[in-house]
Amino acid sequence: MKRIGRALYLILAFVLLYLPIVYLAYFSFSSGKDMVRFQHFSWVHYQVLWSDKELLAIFLQTIILAILSSLIATAIGTCGAWGIFRLRGYRRKTMLVLNNVLMVAPDVIIGASFLICFTALGIGLGFFSVLLSHIAFSIPIVVLMVLPRLQDLDLTLIDAAQDLGAGRGVIFNQIVLPEIMPGILSGLFMALTYSLDDFAVTFFVTGNGFKTLSVEIYSRARQGINLEINALSTVMLLVVMLLAGGYLFLTRQHELALGARS
Amino acid sequence: MRSKSSFFIIPYVLWLLLFVVMPMILLAVNAFTNGQGQVSLVNLRAFLTNGACLKMMVNSFWYAVLITGLTLLISYPLALVIAHCRHQRVWLLLVILPTWINLLLKTYAFIGLLGQHGLINQALQLIGLAPRQLLFTKTAFVIVAAYIEIPFMVLPIYNSLHALDQQIIAAARDLGASSWQTFWRVVWPLTLPGVRAGVQAVFIPSLSLFMITRLIGGNKVITLGTAIEEYFLTTMNWHMGSMIGVILIVIMVLVLLATSGKEQNK
Amino acid sequence: MKIIELKHVTRQYPDGFTALHDLNLSLESGKFYSLLGPSGSGKTTILRLIAGFDQPTQGEILFNGRKINDLPAAQRPLNTVFQNYALFPHLNVFENIAFGLKVKKVPADQIQVKVDRMLSLVRLEGFGQRSVQELSGGQQQRVAIARALVNQPKVLLLDESLSALDKKLRKTMQFELRSIQKQLGITFIFVTHDQEEALAMSDEIFVLNEGRLQQSGSPSAIYDEPVNEFVARFIGDSNLLMGHMIRDFEVEFDNHRFECADAGIKPGEQVQVLLRPEDLSLVAPQQGKIVVEVLSQLFLGDHYEIWAKDDAGFNWLIHTVEKAPTKRCGLHFAPDAIHVMRLGESESEFDQRLSQYEDNEK
Repeated sequence: MKRIGRALYLILAFVLLYLPIVYLAYFSFSSGKDMVRFQHFSWVHYQVLWSDKELLAIFLQTIILAILSSLIATAIGTCGAWGIFRLRGYRRKTMLVLNNVLMVAPDVIIGASFLICFTALGIGLGFFSVLLSHIAFSIPIVVLMVLPRLQDLDLTLIDAAQDLGAGRGVIFNQIVLPEIMPGILSGLFMALTYSLDDFAVTFFVTGNGFKTLSVEIYSRARQGINLEINALSTVMLLVVMLLAGGYLFLTRQHELALGARS
Repeated sequence: MRSKSSFFIIPYVLWLLLFVVMPMILLAVNAFTNGQGQVSLVNLRAFLTNGACLKMMVNSFWYAVLITGLTLLISYPLALVIAHCRHQRVWLLLVILPTWINLLLKTYAFIGLLGQHGLINQALQLIGLAPRQLLFTKTAFVIVAAYIEIPFMVLPIYNSLHALDQQIIAAARDLGASSWQTFWRVVWPLTLPGVRAGVQAVFIPSLSLFMITRLIGGNKVITLGTAIEEYFLTTMNWHMGSMIGVILIVIMVLVLLATSGKEQNK
Repeated sequence: MKIIELKHVTRQYPDGFTALHDLNLSLESGKFYSLLGPSGSGKTTILRLIAGFDQPTQGEILFNGRKINDLPAAQRPLNTVFQNYALFPHLNVFENIAFGLKVKKVPADQIQVKVDRMLSLVRLEGFGQRSVQELSGGQQQRVAIARALVNQPKVLLLDESLSALDKKLRKTMQFELRSIQKQLGITFIFVTHDQEEALAMSDEIFVLNEGRLQQSGSPSAIYDEPVNEFVARFIGDSNLLMGHMIRDFEVEFDNHRFECADAGIKPGEQVQVLLRPEDLSLVAPQQGKIVVEVLSQLFLGDHYEIWAKDDAGFNWLIHTVEKAPTKRCGLHFAPDAIHVMRLGESESEFDQRLSQYEDNEK
């Protein structure tokens, strides 16, 4: 009885969780123009999407922005984590608190304060200001992903490497880096999703020239239903599912390897 | 090693100064100056004497409470069920998956779902209720916001449930506690840190949502976030916008203190 | 030949804690040394100073007569086996052992030969491609030893290296370490808090407490002639009583006078007396030197551990191979089972006194 109750709740929760997403995808194949009645199966919205060069360009821009900003944020954040790791006492605490400001601050505040900042610094609004913002709000999550790895790092490994004659460069490249690599990668991954997912900050700091997918969807959605957006979201859904499947596959492999060891 | 590491940290420190410290200072400066650049409390006075502003603040707070409560109500049982499942990682991944789908797209889906002839109204018709205006209502806003926030509540709660020592539960049962008593006296208190983390992760964004209010709430719901967006991007009164920003930050800090205060006592 | 010397070495930390007080040690080449002491005694500090992970605040560390205080760890011709082994988790067994050689840019074919030789020395042939995480504790230990030894160090430092192993494995490894040391003929410095381990393996033991050297010497010398109460209590089980000297070769304790083997202490001086439990035996009441009443006895496999109380109220610990014959029995011990210790006598004073009256005997 209890088991059935649990299973029912689980199913209900996941139906609700996925209903909007499935609903979107479903109507992307309808030949109609609204999300009320499914007319008949058609690829027409995908064809429109494919020929919508503006939207495709925005899609591309969004991806480039995400890759660029997450790579830079990962580099800066990893160095920052290393710096914080080497600090002690109140300096370390201060740095961590400042690091976390952008983690807890609401998007609107980040967007508004960045807007003031860019204006004060005389930086024009456009691709560059958006890129800077995305790097800025991705850095703290990278630090938070890398820092625990550094703290878990067994310091006697560094002693051991030194004992065996390794210099600083060798120690960093061959001992520290492999150990914290999983942290760096998850930091990069988080930065990537932060950038792809952001709407509010971009909305504040983008001028008229540059648009990301989120901003574009917002302005189209304000004008009402447009099944071209459904087609786009279905494509994105597929990509995300592939990514998730890959992630699951990789961790499964990893776990199997770990299982064999223990 | 010291000199080298400080060289590496330069970009990070630069980031801290330019994108953390400076924006905070500039926001505060803007909030406490008037249009002529003089230091003044005119914005604060305007906010506190304007009934609409105060009402908006209280409303915004109230909506955040509603959204957080609804999210918690759905998420805790879900986390509990998942923690008892086989293939926990798969279920967890399925919870996280929707967060990878652009926020705008999910919100957009609700425009269709909640529409005059959307799925929800069709379902209501099936059970004999007349179709009604769902979109652009306060209820719709709360539901959609809760929907968006569920994964962020489930994760920390699941983590604390997962970290729970199963022997403790066995011990409680062994000492004669019923399953409800076990939950209420053992499981719930021990997972409270996860709940707090979840509440923090949901409450603060809920205060400042502005995109959902526009797309789903019509213009019926005005939150602190909506107000800031309006002052910054529509009426271009940055001073007033910054003032509301400062107030939002103050509320946020109070909430953080209120939800983490108990933990420090332990 | 002296290979390592510590001269007046003091290590004080910025917070004021002094880990080592004016310590002098000298180690000869080719011997197996143990640094023995409880946690916080400074034994690991000495190891870190010798290895180069830490520098003394005062004093000199000499290697082959050359001062090496400021020589980085990477350049010192000695290697360490760490307490938790510190194996690189992302490298396999072969790569772990080869690490030091690769860093020194040794050609690949030589690395192969040397690593293989090490693998067979520690009896891990065929384990080269294994992940270090799938090895047992004892195997990890061997990899750590091989990784250090492949660099052909003049001195091998071992930091509490056996403490993570279970008792049986520890015994095996003690034996193996000792045989590896004999085979290679290099100096081993073994840090441990386990007195049995130190006694079993060492040529010479340094007993440390609170950053000061208490006593050094061969295992038997330290066991039989502990210089003070700390050493007596720390190494082996003991019965310790207060007493005073009557004259040379006669001491009074426990309200009785006994013949003993110590001399050179002025009559009437208060002393501490140590009797090892295994030097005591239980006999018929009238045959013993003291009459005791047996309180408890435990059979521990190879001997009985007996607690017995005498008329003066002292509780004696006795190790015998036979059960106590009666509830009340006599306690017997030979004169040289009594070890007399002067209060506050340093190791050098002790050695001096010992040599004096031993000379007189001759």
